[in-house]
Amino acid sequence: MSQKATVLFDAPGPRARRRNAIIGVLGIALLAGGLAWVVYRFDQTGQFDSQKWDPFQYTAIQQMILDGLKATLKAFALAVVFSLVLGALLAAARLSDHRPVRWAATAFVTFFRAMPLLILIFFLYLAPAKLSYWPGFLDFINDDPMWPLVIGLSLYNGTVQAENMRAGILALPKGQSEAAYALGLRKYQVMTFILVPQGIRSMLPTIISQMVVTLKDTSLGFLITYEELLFIAKRLGSYQDYGLPLIPAAIVVGTIYIISCMILSGVAVWLERFLSRGRKGRVQKIDVVSGETLGAGAGISV
Amino acid sequence: MTEALDKTPPPDKTPSPRTAAPLVVLSKVNKHFGALHVLQDIDLTIHEGEVVVVIGPSGSGKSTLCRAINRLEPIDSGAITIDGNALPQEGRALARLRSEVGMVFQSFNLFAHKTVLQNVMLGPQKVRREARDVVEKRARALLDRVGVGNQADKYPSQLSGGQQQRVAIARALAMQPKVILFDEPTSALDPEMVNEVLETMRSLAAEGMTMVVVTHEMGFARSAANRVIFMADGRIVEENTPDEFFGNPRSDRARDFLSKILHH
Ligand SMILES: Nc1ncnc2c1ncn2[C@@H]1O[C@H](COP(=O)(O)OP(=O)(O)O)[C@@H](O)[C@H]1O
Ligand SMILES: [Mg+2]
Repeated sequence: MSQKATVLFDAPGPRARRRNAIIGVLGIALLAGGLAWVVYRFDQTGQFDSQKWDPFQYTAIQQMILDGLKATLKAFALAVVFSLVLGALLAAARLSDHRPVRWAATAFVTFFRAMPLLILIFFLYLAPAKLSYWPGFLDFINDDPMWPLVIGLSLYNGTVQAENMRAGILALPKGQSEAAYALGLRKYQVMTFILVPQGIRSMLPTIISQMVVTLKDTSLGFLITYEELLFIAKRLGSYQDYGLPLIPAAIVVGTIYIISCMILSGVAVWLERFLSRGRKGRVQKIDVVSGETLGAGAGISV
Repeated sequence: MTEALDKTPPPDKTPSPRTAAPLVVLSKVNKHFGALHVLQDIDLTIHEGEVVVVIGPSGSGKSTLCRAINRLEPIDSGAITIDGNALPQEGRALARLRSEVGMVFQSFNLFAHKTVLQNVMLGPQKVRREARDVVEKRARALLDRVGVGNQADKYPSQLSGGQQQRVAIARALAMQPKVILFDEPTSALDPEMVNEVLETMRSLAAEGMTMVVVTHEMGFARSAANRVIFMADGRIVEENTPDEFFGNPRSDRARDFLSKILHH
């Protein structure tokens, strides 16, 4: 497997292979040792006591964790949709022919990309109460800590996604836009029909990595009392009756985060393959059994 | 030199199109890239139904000339008119004019994320806002005509270079343009695919399409062109019928150039 040459590396020779094997074995031993030590210490300090783990068997606790997961996913879904829309708009604005539009978008992007997300979320959480001039105005932010979290995540990730999309668009061959202009398309049409779709496709791996970051950053909601996964874990960990099972809770919730991110990465791989059919060729699969030519849809199932 | 710049070539060498109306007129067109004077006082008139082949050494400004005609490159001075209308500078008017001038590129430039059929349908649908079924019928007919009708649902990357270029020609034709500009349409092709594209272009020429073709394909020039324009260093150095130009070039530059492309 490691013997194949890639674009980046020559195929390793015999010496490199031996060296890589030694480094591999050493690395694995080191990791396993570290892990064993952590498990040993946890055991010694009673982190694996049944008192600390029993609560996870109770349906009420499971329901709590599930609600936390739902809250996390809800904030994530909203933030992803908003940040992609905002990103597309900002990317288009930064590539505008009109200088004021370009400048405004650049200022916006620079500001929100530089602003630490936590400060942004705190500000959005605290400021509306001081800004509420008319009764009811901005109440939705006051009433539900999800909104400061979602808006903060959307602003920050929107600017990052905008830069990803812009890079994708700039990397396209110039001939794509020239051919479009030559047909008589207007600038916004060239953007909408030709450049943005292709730019997003080519940057999809990066865009989805940023979504993984967005998912993980929903945990900042715990600081403003949004009852997402981390918040639930902290609450669980403070239950005296179960012997303050903070570490078990962290292990459980951490695992949920990791699984969620892995699912998202899996979706990314699938989506990339699905969308790149157009480029690499939507190869028609021959169904061996019936001998029929199947459409592209059949190629991706299984 | 002066007779080469003459806008109206000698009448004895003019086939029928010369009596037709002028469609594309360039007068005193100049263009710089920084210090480089790529187009120098270009005067050129292309009549309706005429096929003009532009030939000349690399870097002589042939592509720039083509691209200036639909304003993919803005010019510094001079005037370009198409069907009597001055080339607009920007906006809706420029887009409308571009939609009447087809362009076929050396590197095909098909839209990579769209199928062959979608490539051909995009312009009429989005620029002309024609009805989908009308456009699809026309697009399929055009694809059949250039011989790639059975590839309609594939993506450009699945086609050979020759097929892609024929799709690009169909895409240009779908807009029903008044004139089509070809910038070295066969230069990026494997040798065995050159003819299928030239054949398509020949049939277009035979049907009376107005064409400006940058190419070094002498066979095409001889069989399809009404006129050959020889460019060097940003100038039109010689302008003649294909037989005269290839058989009896008048300028040293042309003789020198032809000797290089003919004997290798
Ligand atoms: N966008 C550009 N910027 C600067 N120089 C250019 C540009 N495009 C073309 N040139 C230069 O202009 C000259 C003419 O180019 P071109 O019209 O492409 O020539 P041809 O098609 O005859 O080979 C060349 O020297 C080329 O390097
Ligand atoms: Mg060229």
